[in-house]
Amino acid sequence: MRQRTTNPTTAASRRYLVEFGIAVVVYLVVNAASAWALRHVANGPLHYLIAIVPVVPIAFVLVAVLRYLRCSDEFTRMVHVEALAISAGITAMLAVTYGFLESAGFPKLSAWWTYAALMVFFGAANPFVARRYR
Amino acid sequence: MRNRLKVLRAERDWSQSELADRLGVARQTIVALESGKYAPSLPLAFKISKVFDKMIEEIFDAE
Repeated sequence: MRQRTTNPTTAASRRYLVEFGIAVVVYLVVNAASAWALRHVANGPLHYLIAIVPVVPIAFVLVAVLRYLRCSDEFTRMVHVEALAISAGITAMLAVTYGFLESAGFPKLSAWWTYAALMVFFGAANPFVARRYR
Repeated sequence: MRNRLKVLRAERDWSQSELADRLGVARQTIVALESGKYAPSLPLAFKISKVFDKMIEEIFDAE
């Protein structure tokens, strides 16, 4: 007979998906509200505060990722941390490289792309890292 | 690190996900352990030994 015990690693990934989904929905709503409000609030401290409010749901994603890592089993955690190290390294290298190119005359880019790049590389590195242990 | 996880699991007729649930790990972790490419931590090794009711040395071979 199969034991019906709750697997902490499975529970952790399920909870992560739920928390990530909620954060994305909240982000979309807050981001739209912030963009709307920016057009109606004159310059000043409040203007800047409204501009950075969408960071709050993004910070929740960070908390969700950390909680997921802590509650996962040791191997899953190791794979994710390794993938995160690879993606952080690649992102930092690209940021520095482009920074040098900017000094040489390339157009100035928003710092925003580093976050997107980190997430994309993290997602791509994960199966690549896991495959080495199969 | 070589181990007898696959054999012991087959003897009990457990699937990989069943063993994963008994150990509280992901199925991917069982795949990595059985392939011998991932050596478990001491706490996980003790958990495995308890689940199979065998000594750690009877499951893992440190060659």
